Amino acid sequence: MSGTQGELASLTLAEAARRVKAREVSPVELVDASLERIAAVNDRLAAFIRVLDPEARQVAKAAEMMVMAGHDLGPLHGVPIGVKDNVAVRGFPTTAGSRILADWVPEQDATVARRLRQAGAVFVGKLNMHEFAWGGTSDNPHYGTVRNPWNTERFPAGSSGGSGAAVAARACYGAIGTDTGGSIRLPSALNGIVGIRPTYGRVSNHGIIPLAWSMDTAGPMTRTVEDCALMFGAIAGHDPKDAGTARVSVPDYSAGLGLGIKGLRVGIIPGYFFHHLQPAVLEAVKAALDTMVACGAQLVEVDIEHVHGNISAQLTIEAAEPSTYHQRWLRERPDDYGADVRSLLEIGELLLATHYLQAQRYRSLLRNQFMDAFLRVDLFVCPTLPFTATRIGEMKVIIQDGVEEDMLSAIMQFTGVPSLTGLPSLNIPCGFDPDGLPIGMQLIGRPFDESTLFRAGAAYQAATDFHLREPDL
Amino acid sequence: MSKADPFLGPQDVRNLAAYADLPLAPGREEAILPVLRAWLTDANALSRKMSAAEHWNLTPAITFIHPSIEEGEG
Repeated sequence: MSGTQGELASLTLAEAARRVKAREVSPVELVDASLERIAAVNDRLAAFIRVLDPEARQVAKAAEMMVMAGHDLGPLHGVPIGVKDNVAVRGFPTTAGSRILADWVPEQDATVARRLRQAGAVFVGKLNMHEFAWGGTSDNPHYGTVRNPWNTERFPAGSSGGSGAAVAARACYGAIGTDTGGSIRLPSALNGIVGIRPTYGRVSNHGIIPLAWSMDTAGPMTRTVEDCALMFGAIAGHDPKDAGTARVSVPDYSAGLGLGIKGLRVGIIPGYFFHHLQPAVLEAVKAALDTMVACGAQLVEVDIEHVHGNISAQLTIEAAEPSTYHQRWLRERPDDYGADVRSLLEIGELLLATHYLQAQRYRSLLRNQFMDAFLRVDLFVCPTLPFTATRIGEMKVIIQDGVEEDMLSAIMQFTGVPSLTGLPSLNIPCGFDPDGLPIGMQLIGRPFDESTLFRAGAAYQAATDFHLREPDL
Repeated sequence: MSKADPFLGPQDVRNLAAYADLPLAPGREEAILPVLRAWLTDANALSRKMSAAEHWNLTPAITFIHPSIEEGEG
């Protein structure tokens, strides 16, 4: 990266926002740095479907004038942010990574987009993704295959793959992703960044193309926990346009970041999350737990009797709900879907109502067990997924003993648990494998207790430097 | 019934699709059969598990939501 713009692009979101407020850097300079970085890397990464140039420059200029006039738009004033392309941004095509919505231009912002604007964010682009968010590779047949900045022969996971790659590549200071079965956490893990799936109902889904209504969430993807907490505070809260959002007050998520984790009870579930992993992932997460203990946390082993079998419930719900949403298009325009998404949508039509409802009953069972466990622990820690980034195009993965497993069920086997239970889950980078590929761990918390996740994540990042490393692009 | 048992064949898929009013293009049943077979096997296993007496009182996680009525709201 070129000198000064490279330095600017490497700032954290929180530091960039602070410098804007202090008039040490202009929003124009931040957006210039971001757009230059996008121009330098996007041909190799395909992270952005659409770059909002010159619009971002115009907004940055206005933001600069506001700052110079003494007007503070909010915690993200002048900070360049990317938006996953299933989130409506008024006046610009919102494709959901699809051919079917290639020409849809929303007239209104999604609520998360509106709240980010109100907080002062400058949108620099719409981010590439797995088509309609129904997949975990971001291998998009219509807008290009997203590539992992740490090794462009490897995949970035998904479905928010463009968001993950863009943040890791320092092309924007933060991004919005969406997460149904892991689509924020998986690309966060494989791109070495922070990402949070909020409590179901904490953040509005209004204006976001749905995948599975009963599990969809939206959240920030950033380089640090501090950045994530800052962005999260801007978007969280009840929305009258989304009946699924909760009337629960929004705390200052940044306030507790320096409290440390002395005495925090960290739950681990050895019988499920720690027995079927690539060795490097197991070592990294174990080392992370050691770090947390060194910081004063206590480890508590927990058995969740019915956690096994969660994958079937996850797949049943995550298949039936999108197939319902897509019924008309699947009949009118089946050839406009990518092959994998078309197959999944057809499969989802052929599951029985009783399968779906039994899966929904299983969710109640699993949630009850986790809520009982939260009497003894404050949060759970586990790997985000059991492997690191595979080669692009692979639909099978080898985790242990040379056995090939189906990519979709393998990739969601740990992230499905928070999705089914509605619990918040924060991915934090916790190491690298021997090939230099990032490894992530999940922190799973009580409903609406994202503050504890941020606090624990911040303490971990104060003791480690994995989040400070950048890919060599 | 194990995942290897061919309890579902191409014609079964065509029949299911017809029940669902889903017109499957030729060859689609072969494309989706392996995954559908595996998912149905696991879904049936989950259904058996959830039908056990110990889970009798569990209701589905999705419920009808009444909007809250707070002071000042109609």
